[in-house]
Amino acid sequence: MSRKKVYRSKMRILADMMRAVQEAGVEGAGPTKILYAANLSHDRLTQYLEELLEKELITILDSNCSNKTYLLTDKGREFLREFVKVERFSEAFGIEI
Amino acid sequence: MQLGISIIRLDLLFETISGIIALIVTIYASNAYKITGQKKLSDLSTGFMVLSVGMFGRVIGTWYFFVRLGASEDMTPELRTLIAIVTIAYGASRIMAYVVFAVAIRPLKRVEVQDAGALMALAVLVDPTLEMIAIFVLVIVVIQALINYTTNRNRFALYVLVGFILLLLSHLFLAQSVINLGMYLMSQVAQLLGFLSFLVLLYKTG
Repeated sequence: MSRKKVYRSKMRILADMMRAVQEAGVEGAGPTKILYAANLSHDRLTQYLEELLEKELITILDSNCSNKTYLLTDKGREFLREFVKVERFSEAFGIEI
Repeated sequence: MQLGISIIRLDLLFETISGIIALIVTIYASNAYKITGQKKLSDLSTGFMVLSVGMFGRVIGTWYFFVRLGASEDMTPELRTLIAIVTIAYGASRIMAYVVFAVAIRPLKRVEVQDAGALMALAVLVDPTLEMIAIFVLVIVVIQALINYTTNRNRFALYVLVGFILLLLSHLFLAQSVINLGMYLMSQVAQLLGFLSFLVLLYKTG
């Protein structure tokens, strides 16, 4: 018996990445942690990290360090708060986002 | 007659509040669509918008015919026709909204969009049994909301289920209002409570 594969929207993937960064707290999250938490391939991870940086939703904690760590910006925190509200609302109506 | 007008005034108040709540849900769903790009949220927004426009249309129409013009049993045939048009437009708008809900929140991909379009056209073309159609479509919506609740088991899905059950009850009460006038008011109360359940959902989700 095959299980139905659930596809995530791009917005959900970005939110999952941001959640991983938020959960890491003030120390920030490294790429590996984000990759596992958001269940992404390396290529996708790089692409989406760039997008999050470009939109100023996350920031690099220490760019001199060889292993970059990322922190959530105030804008990112606000976005995630809004996303959680929208997620609850959508799921209440049985709409997957 | 005085009792009838009093009930209509109360009904207009309930309907206005329900319409405002439907408009708030419309705005919320529309914002959610802008954030996520999920088309079903846009459909949901459209459904609530159609509902609110229909409700405001009926409030204005009923207020004009019954309260301002004081329509009574000896009203002219032209006035009767106008009232019938407003009633049919209101009933059709509600059915259209329920069909949009049925399509937007369906848990299984069985109904195609073109089927929904055909159902919406049917709602406009068929007039004597609008309430029956509304009840039929709402039963589908309630079943979908029930499936969603049993899957998610969270209070947010419960608010939606309760909201749609109350809307269904309001139509069932309305269908019996011909034999019992009290059912008409019960119908409006059930509808208002249904929309209040959606309002609680918005409040609880933040």
